[in-house]
Amino acid sequence: MTVWQRLFRRGGQRLSGAVAPEQWLEEHQHLAYDGHLDHAVNLLEDLLGVNDDLVIRSFRVFGQHPAVLVYFSNLVNREVINEQILWPLMQSQPSSENDRGRTRPHDAELTQRVMEEAIYYGEVHTEREYVKMVEALYRGEPLLLVAGASVGILLATRNVAQRSVEEPQTEQVIRGGRDGFTELLSTNITLLRYRLQTPNLRVKMVTIGRMTKTKIAVCYVEGIVQPALLKEVEDRLKAVDVDGIFDAGTLEQFIEDNHWSPFPQVQNTERPDKCAVSLLEGRVVILTDGTPFALIVPAVFAQFYQTPDDYSERPVMASLIRLVRIVALTFSLVFPSLYVSVIAFNPELIPTKFAVAVAGGRAGVPFPAVVEVLLMEVTMEVLREATLRVPQQVGGALSIVGVLVIGQAAVSAGFASPITVVVVALTTIGSFATPAYNAAVALRILRFLLTCLAGVFGLYGVMIGLILITHHMLSLRSFGVPYLSPIVPGDWQGTKDTWIRAPLWWMPKRPAHLQPANRRRVGDGTLRDVMQRPSHPLDPVHPRKGR
Amino acid sequence: MGVLALSRLAAEAGGSGAPLVTLLGVLVSTGGLRILTKLGTRFPRESIVGYSTRLIGPWCAAVISGVMVLFFAALTALTAREFAEVVVTSVLTRTPVEVTTLTMLLLTALSSRANMTSFAYAHLFYLPFVMPGLLIVVLSTKNGDYLNLLPLIGNAPQVGSFVVGALAISALFQGAFIMAFVIPAMRQPEKAMRSVLWGIGVAGGLYLLIVLATVAVFGAEATREFLWPTLELARMTLLPGEVLERLDAAFLVVWVTAVFTTLYSTYNLTLRAARDLFRMEDHRPFALFLLPYIMLMAMLPTDVVHLYLVMRRRSRTGTIGLGAARGRTDDE
Repeated sequence: MTVWQRLFRRGGQRLSGAVAPEQWLEEHQHLAYDGHLDHAVNLLEDLLGVNDDLVIRSFRVFGQHPAVLVYFSNLVNREVINEQILWPLMQSQPSSENDRGRTRPHDAELTQRVMEEAIYYGEVHTEREYVKMVEALYRGEPLLLVAGASVGILLATRNVAQRSVEEPQTEQVIRGGRDGFTELLSTNITLLRYRLQTPNLRVKMVTIGRMTKTKIAVCYVEGIVQPALLKEVEDRLKAVDVDGIFDAGTLEQFIEDNHWSPFPQVQNTERPDKCAVSLLEGRVVILTDGTPFALIVPAVFAQFYQTPDDYSERPVMASLIRLVRIVALTFSLVFPSLYVSVIAFNPELIPTKFAVAVAGGRAGVPFPAVVEVLLMEVTMEVLREATLRVPQQVGGALSIVGVLVIGQAAVSAGFASPITVVVVALTTIGSFATPAYNAAVALRILRFLLTCLAGVFGLYGVMIGLILITHHMLSLRSFGVPYLSPIVPGDWQGTKDTWIRAPLWWMPKRPAHLQPANRRRVGDGTLRDVMQRPSHPLDPVHPRKGR
Repeated sequence: MGVLALSRLAAEAGGSGAPLVTLLGVLVSTGGLRILTKLGTRFPRESIVGYSTRLIGPWCAAVISGVMVLFFAALTALTAREFAEVVVTSVLTRTPVEVTTLTMLLLTALSSRANMTSFAYAHLFYLPFVMPGLLIVVLSTKNGDYLNLLPLIGNAPQVGSFVVGALAISALFQGAFIMAFVIPAMRQPEKAMRSVLWGIGVAGGLYLLIVLATVAVFGAEATREFLWPTLELARMTLLPGEVLERLDAAFLVVWVTAVFTTLYSTYNLTLRAARDLFRMEDHRPFALFLLPYIMLMAMLPTDVVHLYLVMRRRSRTGTIGLGAARGRTDDE
């Protein structure tokens, strides 16, 4: 008793000052509940009583043992608490044989009885230390303390405002699932487990963030993922010590390889199907609580122009569309710089008639080609950013102004030549055709570098810039995987899914650069069966023949 | 890189027998590289500087390696200068040659800080860039006249001039000496010979085709007169559909990659030889340290004519010197 009093006095004194509850708890890490209800209640009130939404409800378990239920009223599901927890607990039950005649039942037994007979709720666990209890309270788990028991019972009845599963806004598809991740980690894991109904799908939980205590789920498929990759992911996550992780993007910046590269080295997605496919390829998916974006590692450059549509459409069509996307990507990178160098340095390259037309269009423009293009590009970037940030109601007006500025007015004011407008427009459209926003931004930034080089050295400068970019990409690694795999280093199996999208039965192996533990994904006999001449049961001439 | 002047070298030596001279040159360098590779595979964990110490004693090896460093530094400098001259003459006529040389060398030096894996990746990545060369050859066939290629051994064949020409052309393969430093980084050094033969096959085949096309289009006499016959060939060529009026500038620009890989190889060679010579762990400190000296060397020749004079002398000493070194190490 005296120990307790001392503790409380000390605690009380400290707490009346400006000591934060977490520090106090850290200093008393091993302080545990020992069955003295009054002390526990006092302690919790001292620690957390400032919060007006803290509820401490006293009652008697089975009508005899004093108990309290502590929770934050805004974090928990009150209906569940009232009907499935409080109601059955407060029913007076006939005491069991062992209890009769004893004033204080054996504490372990009491806890067991409460958990096994009286709580009509699934997710229940027990904790001894106050640190853990307080942590759980803030997770939204009500704490049940019974006098005489030596553990606190925690009930996971969190209730957080949640939006329903909606179609992902950033990655829309023509064919394919329409469900997207939401902010709640539990929902996201459900979506993923629904796609991959195998016991091999493992979900490991990590908590990162001293204040936010953000839950991170590391998902992988046992038997496919390379164990070394998994270990690396876990090590990198373990190394993160920061007060807050609010988004997958924040986390990404802690675990990526090259922090100064313009290129993204971690893929993010809102789509559970994309995650499931990545998991089956041998990648690791990292889900973060509080954000609808999942991180996929490792990521290579080719992933950033692939879409789920590529796989749901038939191979010829998908390959053509993918080629179009690659052309668009290249356009968005080099088109303005090529234009500048041809106009300013090598007009003899383009056909004479066209050169004359270009010169005519540029007649009234006072700037050199490079300044003109840079001006228009910057205007375009500003317009793009403005359209993104403006409230939706104003958006229409903005786009009208934008169209006027970029188009007609700029030309008739002698600010830019018509062909420059065409070039800039094509470039921008090309960059919008890239499915991954972050990869598109990388190329947009590099486009400015190339344009400047083109203004100084012409085509020679463009080539120098391209070599620099290529070299940078060749030296990039994402979790050890070379960024340009499977083109360099060459891998035939992977190449089938890079420039084109080969038929699925023709890609029987998982990408080699991920070094999966199990390489084959298509069954041995499938190719033979698929390619076999089909039987024609409804053939009008020779019905029911064949097979 | 020497490809731009290649046909001139061949035509000067053999007249209409230029393709034959080229073939001889390719064969000579194949022989040399075979010896080098065999030696490399015999010591798969060491670079040439390392095992030459064991073969011919530390002092001899140090001298030879020192000469090698100087030699490849000079090769890098001259290649950069040559290309800078080409660029200044045909694309950026108002740019001083110092600027173009420096940009090229700077690009090489910055890239050379990467490790051997990235070095190998870069070369794999740029492999498809031989396509423009092939394209030019294919497109120029319609201007060619096979009579220009006859007689196959030239009008007045002289063994001496054939040999000199073949050696000059084999000197264009000196960058392939990088094999001596690549082999220790290989996962399967025993496959080195096959890859060397492939490499020579692709490069030599392209050389042969270009010489064939140039001589067929211009004839041996005219080819001799051009400073850069391959560039003239590109100038003659028209893309079907007339999307581009002329191809020479575009060709030259794509050719930057070829020059870059050559420079990248020789510069890396210099760095790595210097690293092994001074027994350092890392070649990176040399990357920027050597740059001013190489730049200085590149600026020594006064003009293009002088440049080619220097290059010819250098390539002769090089071929003879390297040949001697190879022979020496192989005997021991």
